[in-house]
Amino acid sequence: MGQLGTYLLVLGLVLAGYGLVASAVGARTDRPALVESARRCAFGVAAVLVAANATMVVALLRNDFAVRYVAENSAIQTPVFYKALALWGADDGSLLLWNLILAGYIAAVALRFRRDRPSMFPYALSVLFTVQVFYLVLVNGPARPFGSLASPPADGRGPAPLLQNHPLMAVHPPFLYLGFIGFTVPFAFGVAALLAGDGIDQWVSIIRRWTLVVWCFLTVGLVLGALWSYSVLGWGGYWAWDPVENVALLPWLTSTAFLHSVMLQERRGMARLWNIALVIGAFALVTFGTFLTRGNVLSSVHSFTQTTVGPVYLIFLGLVLLAGFGLVAWRLPQLRTPASLDSAISREGAFVGNNVLLLAATAIILLGTTFPLVVQAVSNQQVTIGAPYFVSSVTPVFLLILLLAGTAPLLPWRATNRARALRRLRVPAGAAAVVMVATALAGVHKVATIAGFGLAALLFVTSAQEILSGLAIGRRGSRGRALRTFLRGRRRHAGLIVHMGLALLAVGVIASSSLAHATEVNLKAGQSTEFGGQLLRYQGLRTDQQPQRAVLTARVAVLSLAGRQVATLSPRMNLYPASTEPIGSPSINRGVFWDLYASVISLQNDGASATFRFYRNPGVNWLWFGGLVMALGGATAAWPARRRRSGRDQASAAERGRAPADAGAR
Amino acid sequence: MRARLTRRRALLLGSVVAVVAVIVGLLSTGLGRDPSVIASPLIGRAAPNFTLPQLTGGKLTLSKLRGQIVVINFWASWCAQCQDEQAALNQTWQKFQDSGVVVLGVDFEDTAGDARSYVNSAGVSYPVVEDAASRTALVYGLRGVPETFVVNQAGRIVDHVIGPISAGSVANQINSLLQKST
Amino acid sequence: MTARTVRRIRVTLPALLVLIALAAGAGTLAVVAVRGQPPATRAQQVQQIAAGLHCPICKDLSVADSPAPLAQQMRQEIAQKLNAGQSASQIRAGFVAAYGDTVLMSPPRHGLAGAAYFLPAIVLIAGLIAAFTLLRRWLRAPGPDQLESDSSPPVSASERRALAKAVARLREEEPG
Repeated sequence: MGQLGTYLLVLGLVLAGYGLVASAVGARTDRPALVESARRCAFGVAAVLVAANATMVVALLRNDFAVRYVAENSAIQTPVFYKALALWGADDGSLLLWNLILAGYIAAVALRFRRDRPSMFPYALSVLFTVQVFYLVLVNGPARPFGSLASPPADGRGPAPLLQNHPLMAVHPPFLYLGFIGFTVPFAFGVAALLAGDGIDQWVSIIRRWTLVVWCFLTVGLVLGALWSYSVLGWGGYWAWDPVENVALLPWLTSTAFLHSVMLQERRGMARLWNIALVIGAFALVTFGTFLTRGNVLSSVHSFTQTTVGPVYLIFLGLVLLAGFGLVAWRLPQLRTPASLDSAISREGAFVGNNVLLLAATAIILLGTTFPLVVQAVSNQQVTIGAPYFVSSVTPVFLLILLLAGTAPLLPWRATNRARALRRLRVPAGAAAVVMVATALAGVHKVATIAGFGLAALLFVTSAQEILSGLAIGRRGSRGRALRTFLRGRRRHAGLIVHMGLALLAVGVIASSSLAHATEVNLKAGQSTEFGGQLLRYQGLRTDQQPQRAVLTARVAVLSLAGRQVATLSPRMNLYPASTEPIGSPSINRGVFWDLYASVISLQNDGASATFRFYRNPGVNWLWFGGLVMALGGATAAWPARRRRSGRDQASAAERGRAPADAGAR
Repeated sequence: MRARLTRRRALLLGSVVAVVAVIVGLLSTGLGRDPSVIASPLIGRAAPNFTLPQLTGGKLTLSKLRGQIVVINFWASWCAQCQDEQAALNQTWQKFQDSGVVVLGVDFEDTAGDARSYVNSAGVSYPVVEDAASRTALVYGLRGVPETFVVNQAGRIVDHVIGPISAGSVANQINSLLQKST
Repeated sequence: MTARTVRRIRVTLPALLVLIALAAGAGTLAVVAVRGQPPATRAQQVQQIAAGLHCPICKDLSVADSPAPLAQQMRQEIAQKLNAGQSASQIRAGFVAAYGDTVLMSPPRHGLAGAAYFLPAIVLIAGLIAAFTLLRRWLRAPGPDQLESDSSPPVSASERRALAKAVARLREEEPG
């Protein structure tokens, strides 16, 4: 199995290398036949990588411990489901999936441009193959997922306990990878536009929808990651401002900025330079993130894993930055555009503000994440930069983002119509004021919390009102159905849905981070404690011996103060043979307004008594739901429009004097 | 690329190269370093005193060992790496116990029963104390087990090892301390 | 009422309503800010101190959040020290003496690390200044409309008004 996998990876590298050379030479010497062969090569690379990943899965399922990766990350008693998931359970295996997804994206590009090819396509293809070659070199050289063991052990070590604790592991990493790796495509087309020297406006219209799809994947990946963290780690939270989490958020912020500023270029021909820089920046941040998390630069105490891939990632990051921004510097004269503005308080001005805020958030998080490294390099001082720093520095920026998103859709392009904007601000502003007063009367003492709820209300009501008024205008004009009107202004409406999702997510984040309660109690079996208006009674410990682990389940009854049982909680401790410390697993009673969350901290005298942490977390489910709404809104905007437009639509588009919003992407 | 290299262009390109070089240079400093090694602020300071119950009964006070070299080893019966270094600790104790050196085990987050059976099976003959509420561990800035502190005759901490010790380097350290005092 | 008064009311009334909402919101925030937090209970004090300390055996969690046994011991230690009359900064100093600066969730304010406290504000202000400079330059730049009108035939005042009206109506209805 290991042999087959090794050969497949070599074959993949050879194919991708051919694709790189053929597309690059084809682009420089203008030979379409070479480019076409490189384009077909993309499907070959994808097929080979599907086979390589399948080989690893088969090796995992068949307990082929001669493969080192299988011996280290799976065991005979591991359930089949988690055996297959071990493909992305550790560094080397996840690089296989990484390669596969990248090859999938390249194949998608090759399929999309099978007939009509912009002049930059050969360049884009060669950039894509360059990235693929880099990741294939990684799995052929420094990281060897199919490396073999001279003397295979009788049983493997099994997956890391935390990774075989929750089914979310099946979806969270793939979505995150789909998000991260997807940024290669906009990057490739951006660099290609710079290399080709023309089509700098064509570039944006090609890439807008790709970026939107990638953005949706990353949104889902981030939300699922937070959900996994909340459901598995047992500390009652979902986001710890860990470097790994931070670097995943960075490209999301940058690409969100891009999705807004791209409209400046599409509609007004402005911000060309800026948009290319954003796309290159997003990809550079993804590369930086992989370096930081896989290069063993910032990692946890008492983990002694040594990897050799760090320098390789760093060199790649340097090349990406040099090539990307070097090209931008080179092409600067062509990228400068004459821009003009009638009023600063207009949609254009709002987009500039949006970009400043999102980029400031990116910079602040990036600085905080890397600052310990820099401080140690410069002054040999060791410091921690943790959650309090990030919370206090990012909160004002995020509140400003809510404020801007809650008012900007009321501003028209170009000119200011103050009276009209104020008229449409009445209801949202009123709603915000009511929410703020109500929150304060309900006894909340924190200024940022009250302001945050008010701004979230502003954002939600503005977005909803704009969608409804858009539908009303449509009805007046064409007497069509609501759905048709909705679809006509789909990009605007979808964007507003994303904003509504953001408002819901913001409510969840603000409520859970500032209004949560926690308590820590030691309970003897049969004893109860009062928490948050309910009685929690420890009913005793149950031990289950499963093939791969022992599970100690503490049963906790949730009773009303009157003594009526309303729910049960069963936080667990899992004992794995490969791990000396028990791995806790929380139990959550989820609700619309708040979750009751229980963790066992320690057990005494075989469970005669136990120490628990109970949390009352308000609004957490709003966060997941808001994230889902955001992703759905993004998907609505990205969904391909019908190919044939009705004559009426074309006429109305022509009347507006502009191409229909989605036409550019066709 | 058909565009010519003007001075302006060269300047721009140069600054891009310079910025990238600085970024990569700063990040590369993190590569050679083990991020888990955090310098202990206790080195060179007086070892915080403690009085803790011994596994075999009776109490032990660190300050009463003043004048001797003390190798304080934080360990636990559930810790795999502690078993790896057990031979080195036993060896150190056998070799130096008559030359004014005390090896002192401090049991961390453990139960007395587990600790006793481990001590019996691993042939530990040096004194072992229980740190029931981890108060001593917190004063010594413990991040996990095993961790080892070497205290000189004057009661100052001269070395701190995170992870398993090696018998050779501890012996070197003890020898140099013994030489200094004579 | 004349048509002009009606129009003026239609313009000022929404502005007034928005102003009232703004005042209500700002007033609420001011009242809450002035009233301040209620005095913290002992458990809340422990929680606050623990939230500022990094759990030494964890990757990223604070002592307040971590379920690790050592963090639990640290919370108990904080409570005992508070009961013994120590102040929050004395307790923090005690942990720094044992663990070094890395035990603090936020870096100390001295040395290069202290710069971390100014950086976010500098970043935000620099961004805002850049945005304002950019917007001002754009506002001063001649618009493409003006450039075009130089070469096109002259438009009468009434035509221009009609055009402006039509453009305004379209903008009102345009999506995106």
